[in-house]
Amino acid sequence: MTDETLARLQFATTAGFHWLFVMLTLGLAPLIAVTHTRHALNGSPLMERMTRFWGQIYVVNYVLGIVTGLVMEFQFGLAWSGLSEYAGNVFGAPLALETIVAFFAESTFLGMWIFGWGKLPKAVHVTLIWLVTLTAYASAYWILVANGFLQHPVGHEVRDGVARLADFGAMLTNPNAINALVHAATAALMTGGVFMAGMSSYHFLKRTAEREFFRASLRLGLFVATPAAFVALYYGFVQIPTLVETQPMKAASLRGHVDDIGSLRVEDVQAQLVQRFGAGDYRPPAWIATAFDVMQDVGYLILLLIVVALVLLYRDWYLRFRPAAYLMLVAVPLPFVAALGGWLLREVGRQPWAVYGELTTAAARSPVGSMLTSLVLFGSVFLALAITDWALIIRYARRGPADTDLGGSPPDGHAERPPASLAL
Amino acid sequence: MTLELVWPALLGLLLAGYFVLAGLDYGVQMLAPWLGRDDRERRTLLNAFGPFFLGNEVWLVAAAGVLFGAFPFLEGRLLSGMYFLFAAILAGIVAGNAAVQLRSRHRGASARRFWDGPIFLGGLVPTVGWGLVTGRLLAGVPLDARNVFSLGVADLLHPFVLLCGATTTAVFLAHGAAFLAWRTGGGPGARAARTGGRALLVAAVGAAAVLVAGFLSSARHTVVNPWPALLTGVALVVVLLVGAALLRAGRTGRAFAATSCAAALPVVALGTGMHPFVLVSSGAPGTGLRLAEAMADAGTLRLLTGFAAVMVPLVLLAQVWNWWLFRDRAGRTPTYL
Repeated sequence: MTDETLARLQFATTAGFHWLFVMLTLGLAPLIAVTHTRHALNGSPLMERMTRFWGQIYVVNYVLGIVTGLVMEFQFGLAWSGLSEYAGNVFGAPLALETIVAFFAESTFLGMWIFGWGKLPKAVHVTLIWLVTLTAYASAYWILVANGFLQHPVGHEVRDGVARLADFGAMLTNPNAINALVHAATAALMTGGVFMAGMSSYHFLKRTAEREFFRASLRLGLFVATPAAFVALYYGFVQIPTLVETQPMKAASLRGHVDDIGSLRVEDVQAQLVQRFGAGDYRPPAWIATAFDVMQDVGYLILLLIVVALVLLYRDWYLRFRPAAYLMLVAVPLPFVAALGGWLLREVGRQPWAVYGELTTAAARSPVGSMLTSLVLFGSVFLALAITDWALIIRYARRGPADTDLGGSPPDGHAERPPASLAL
Repeated sequence: MTLELVWPALLGLLLAGYFVLAGLDYGVQMLAPWLGRDDRERRTLLNAFGPFFLGNEVWLVAAAGVLFGAFPFLEGRLLSGMYFLFAAILAGIVAGNAAVQLRSRHRGASARRFWDGPIFLGGLVPTVGWGLVTGRLLAGVPLDARNVFSLGVADLLHPFVLLCGATTTAVFLAHGAAFLAWRTGGGPGARAARTGGRALLVAAVGAAAVLVAGFLSSARHTVVNPWPALLTGVALVVVLLVGAALLRAGRTGRAFAATSCAAALPVVALGTGMHPFVLVSSGAPGTGLRLAEAMADAGTLRLLTGFAAVMVPLVLLAQVWNWWLFRDRAGRTPTYL
């Protein structure tokens, strides 16, 4: 493997893990804010238990989101210093704003929310979870403004080989940022909703005592996931014309997989790009079309499953029809699979460019030798932590709302197994 | 002109805030597995920083963001130049942050004991790492003609740099201990006070040794403004000794204030000692990357200033609010960690 491949793998490992956890963070936060608000408004004990149970899972998931996010902030400077050399005047601004406007505030508020149970006035406590939600989505926006610049650099001019900010408004309204934000944010909401519905289905299948609790959770999950899935789908297709216009090579690579890319062909675009930028291979790997198919097909499958489940909510048919619950449980990982497909299409499909049409990935790399050691270091730490974190999430989800630490003190460690395991 | 003052000041503020706040996290992380005799005590120690932990750690994120946005031509050079040092610091922070938050999510005693390992290393590795970064920046880096550099292991084995690493460890240990002595009572609090007193003396000796080593070694050629750096170093020694006396007298809150100053002073030493440079060459003293060359265009900075003028005070207010809300000593705050 070349040094460049290793550097790209390291970035992809960090971003990939980050995205898997951030999706659920973005998806669950508004749902928890809604249940917490309903609890604060009418004092409903059910809503309080829902807030604490799903909030606990959210918080455990957030742990990996924040630590991988921290490494993300440093990856550009560590491994891609050419990016700041060339586009630091432009690309650094949205990232700086993301940290000050969003990340910094989000974590501060979340720490207060976690420890605020039984301590803060209800109105203040609810405000905190809404601030956490708001700053999480603000974070997504600024990140996609930065990423949108890499996909389709706008709002700048190049003087003396260095990009300079010319029109910040154009950067903020870059269609490659806005449409992707709506697409990714609604996909995240769908992820949160499907996760809630799937975990609730587990409890129906196990016939646990918390029927009312998970019936309410299922309904909330599906009511959010269904419209979110339609919007995500729509904003997926909305991006195709922009792609044809701004990244013809990526669009051409999808020939035969999408309809409206006109007459674009990979060979023709390659010839045009050679004419424009000089000799070189401007084709991304052909498998990005497969990544597109995975995203699209899995997306349709999720949509089908949640619409069927939504219909079955009528007269609680869902609770009696076990195959539906099985399918929804199996559906929990699907949004993550679809999102990985979409991410690969967007980022690998941009290659060989770091800044499309302006700076190649090879030119952006830091003058650091092989990154194999750090790749293995970060990769193994992330993998071990991710597996542990998912295992903890599954354990909390299985144990149900009676065994939640958030808002109360976790028991001192002795009994590893819950009493239920004593039963035959 | 003002922009050339505002942004270095903001970066300095965020870095100082990070060293003060995350410094106490790292100190507590290094101490909790040893000072706590059983699981309950260890959790008491960790919950002393419970409500502040997430807020403390993200000062680094904000500092990194400002570094990228306002100092893009330093950011890439610095991070890639000290690549493996920063990679180790980050890996340590990742493991430590996750361990602190996940430890009590396990019910079993053995799983919790396992997490004490990464909790300790997650305090130690970034602490030593930041000490080495500070020392190497003061002693200069091997810049080439384009002001790019790449550190080797030998660059870190310089006595001045190593002493900076060791002293930072003692300072953060003392800082964490003073925090614990202030925020927790009973046996763990008393043990923290004793440990803190010893660590403060070691740190004071270490800081004095850094000054001597700085004067005797090649580092004395690279510090651009020796007097401010020297004064800051003397202030560091004084503050550490005052902290030790306060801790001995049982004035834990004031002792913590003293160790907080000690944690922030290295940032002052860097800023005043290196101005107008942000990177100095170890091979050709008196040359390096100048502040003006490191910063983004005035247009970018003006834009960022508008956002920062609104957001930074708000976020700082939120942090102050957090400390005020949970000003009660541990034990009256919910236990989550």
